[in-house]
Amino acid sequence: MAETKSSEPIISCRGVNKWFGNFHVLKDVDLDVMPQEVVVIIGPSGSGKSTFIRCINRLEEHQEGQIIVDGIELSHDVRNIAAIRSEIGMVFQQFNLFPHLTVLDNIALAPRYVRRQPRRTAEETALQLLERVGIPEQARKYPGQLSGGQQQRVAIARALAMQPKIMLFDEPTSALDPEMIKEVLDVMKQLAQSGMTMLVVTHEMGFAREVADRIVLFDEGRIVEMGTPEHFFTNPQHERTKLFLSQIL
Amino acid sequence: MRGRYTASDFYVAPLESPPSRRPPITSVGPLGWLRANLFSSKSNSIATVIMAALILWFLWSFLSWSVRSAQWGVIYHNLRLVTSGLYDRQEIWRMELVAGILVLLSGLSLGVWGRLARGVFIAVLVILLILVVVPVLAARVPEPTIYVLVEPQRPPSDFVFVGLKGQEVSFTFDPLTDAQDADERLLGFVESQARTEWSIRAAEVRAGNLDLGQHNLAVTLRLLDRQGRPLTSQAGSAVGDFAADPAGGALSYTLPADGWYVLEVRRDDSVNGSVGDNAGYAWIRVQGVETFASQEAAAQARADQFGQPPAVERALFADENSYRFEGARSVAEFFSLQVTPLFSRIVMPCFVGAALFFNGWVIGTLGRREKIVRRAVLGGWILSAPVILIILRGFEGSRTLPLVPTSVWGGLLLTILLTVVGIVASFPLGVALALGRRSELPAIKWTCTLFIETVRGVPLITILFMAKQIVPFFWSALSGLDLAIRMMIGVTLFSAAYLAENVRGGLQIIPYGQIEAARALGLNPALATTLIVLPQALRAVIPAIVGQFISLFKDTSLVAVVGLFELVGIVDRIVSGQAIYRPYQREAYIVIAIIYFVISYAMSDVSRRLEQSGAGSIRRL
Repeated sequence: MAETKSSEPIISCRGVNKWFGNFHVLKDVDLDVMPQEVVVIIGPSGSGKSTFIRCINRLEEHQEGQIIVDGIELSHDVRNIAAIRSEIGMVFQQFNLFPHLTVLDNIALAPRYVRRQPRRTAEETALQLLERVGIPEQARKYPGQLSGGQQQRVAIARALAMQPKIMLFDEPTSALDPEMIKEVLDVMKQLAQSGMTMLVVTHEMGFAREVADRIVLFDEGRIVEMGTPEHFFTNPQHERTKLFLSQIL
Repeated sequence: MRGRYTASDFYVAPLESPPSRRPPITSVGPLGWLRANLFSSKSNSIATVIMAALILWFLWSFLSWSVRSAQWGVIYHNLRLVTSGLYDRQEIWRMELVAGILVLLSGLSLGVWGRLARGVFIAVLVILLILVVVPVLAARVPEPTIYVLVEPQRPPSDFVFVGLKGQEVSFTFDPLTDAQDADERLLGFVESQARTEWSIRAAEVRAGNLDLGQHNLAVTLRLLDRQGRPLTSQAGSAVGDFAADPAGGALSYTLPADGWYVLEVRRDDSVNGSVGDNAGYAWIRVQGVETFASQEAAAQARADQFGQPPAVERALFADENSYRFEGARSVAEFFSLQVTPLFSRIVMPCFVGAALFFNGWVIGTLGRREKIVRRAVLGGWILSAPVILIILRGFEGSRTLPLVPTSVWGGLLLTILLTVVGIVASFPLGVALALGRRSELPAIKWTCTLFIETVRGVPLITILFMAKQIVPFFWSALSGLDLAIRMMIGVTLFSAAYLAENVRGGLQIIPYGQIEAARALGLNPALATTLIVLPQALRAVIPAIVGQFISLFKDTSLVAVVGLFELVGIVDRIVSGQAIYRPYQREAYIVIAIIYFVISYAMSDVSRRLEQSGAGSIRRL
């Protein structure tokens, strides 16, 4: 997409290792993401791709290696974590909207309490974001009254309300009915075109091919292959990649 | 095998669809509801009929008992004790003031925040209407007949009453000549000794050993004024000089002036020659005479007007205690003897309360858009707690607000106080304990767990005894603390432990994704807990929390065992301590049960409304 990339990576991972108990989930993962780049992570279930992006905003803690986001290294320092989290928006597979708050309150909550914006400003921004994801008329409803696709779009708007530099998507369309996937992907495409740095875990190969700058294949906790969509779909090198693609295409 | 199609195998509907018709009458409306719910099948119909019969039978027995023979006076003669315990009599105005404050604040809050205004408005109107209508109706109900018994074992008593000018009173002399015509009434008003004597005699009559008709009853009735002068009838003779007549007789008389009257009852035992033969029973039925709740009430109410009642040897007074009733009583008598006295006590406070509430509601409704009004009401509630406590307790040495130690607080006041303090204090404590038990810091987690499990493992009564006896022994600073306050602490700690477990249940059903989403948005743990987790968790366990509050409310009755007289304790003291109320424990405890039920039901109703309101009713996780 955006061809002009600054030289410094906004996310830099070096030798990231993580264990769940004795289970080695992430094995020496190295990945650099440039500003405004869209990286799509694919791979079979249990390959560690979700765990990896959850490590980036410290929802999971890595035990070895180094993750640097926008010049700040992730460590146990609480202030670092808070600083990094406010730079990164995240969208979950299960939406995780707050069911006891209206759509508008869902979106305006974090700006009001974390960024300390006045209520009116936060709600105006929230309405603009709802406009952007195409459902301004749902502002006063509760999440339980929306369809899955609408909920996921609210979740995207909620993440964007903190004006993040990076957006993480953890299988955003996996819990949706087929006819709702498109509306969410359209919002994500539009977001990518606007120059947002995005890390997307997904099984939507059409989206990967169309939007991604780079595709990363995870298997058994390591990166197996990484390249442009062109390279990936027309000329895969690794046996595992060929096998994976043959199974899902 | 496919056959040949004929014309009837093809069909095209006409362009116009047929008009909609009404469903059959048996499937909609009340009839349809009955059919669908109560008589949907044979077994359902049988169950409905049996249950309806059982419920009706129970209701009927209860109602007929409470109208025909129950003595509710045990409560309304003791209203002060029931509501405030041994709180100083001359300081009761402070409780009235507190009630007024609370009623006014409730009205204001309803006006400001209430969405149920119409329902409450109607409820207030209905209560006012009842308050007006019942006394009016009761005033139209004729005074009940008063029965004066003439019995062979002792000289008959005179009968004292208040009469008004132009009032017509009538006396009927009614000898009892067979066993049956006396049974019903005798079971009623008469003190137990006469009843026992009569029942022995009646048994003899039934067995045929005694003919009451053979016994002479020579009784002379005379109507006297307050000075003891016989009243003369229009014809000139003394009124009611009517002597023994086995068939009975009646006289009626229009009273000439306001004041006290005495019906003199004289039995002439010499008529038959022998005292023993003058053994018959007779009723004198007095009609048109005002009855009073008690002799004291009558003296108080009428002494100003008519002076003290005349001193008569062996007088029966036209008061309810003299004619305490255990047998059948008519509905009219129920109204004038039981309902009116109660209403005459509560009608003024209720009017004042309703007026305050209504005023508050109007002000609140008018001012609901003004921030100042909303803040003032909120501030009023917050301020009301210390203000109320100061008003109720007062200061040592103060003249206007002398100290009323909490040890004499009692009745409904103490019950409500213990409940409110328990709820207000145990809720935050319970939430804190629940959060503490889920803390990642082991020291906090273990301390909270230890506290919760210890308290939950001990009966409340033990905790109350500990609060009374053991704790001050270990910790001398506490021994100076009022017993009532120590009980509040005990009840609060107990309730908090259970509440913590309820809240923990709510915390556990919040999906971890909610916390992750909050953290991903940059909310710190405290914000995530207060903004995301707790609102959902608490809402999910509203029924359990309110259930805990209701049992806290009922458990306050246990403080009676450590010597505080809350509602149950004080009523127990009334029925066991005052001889005249001893026979009426049933009435007393039924009234308490109703009070407890009404308050508990109101609490669970509020919880239902809370559950159904706002986002909770449409949440889907």
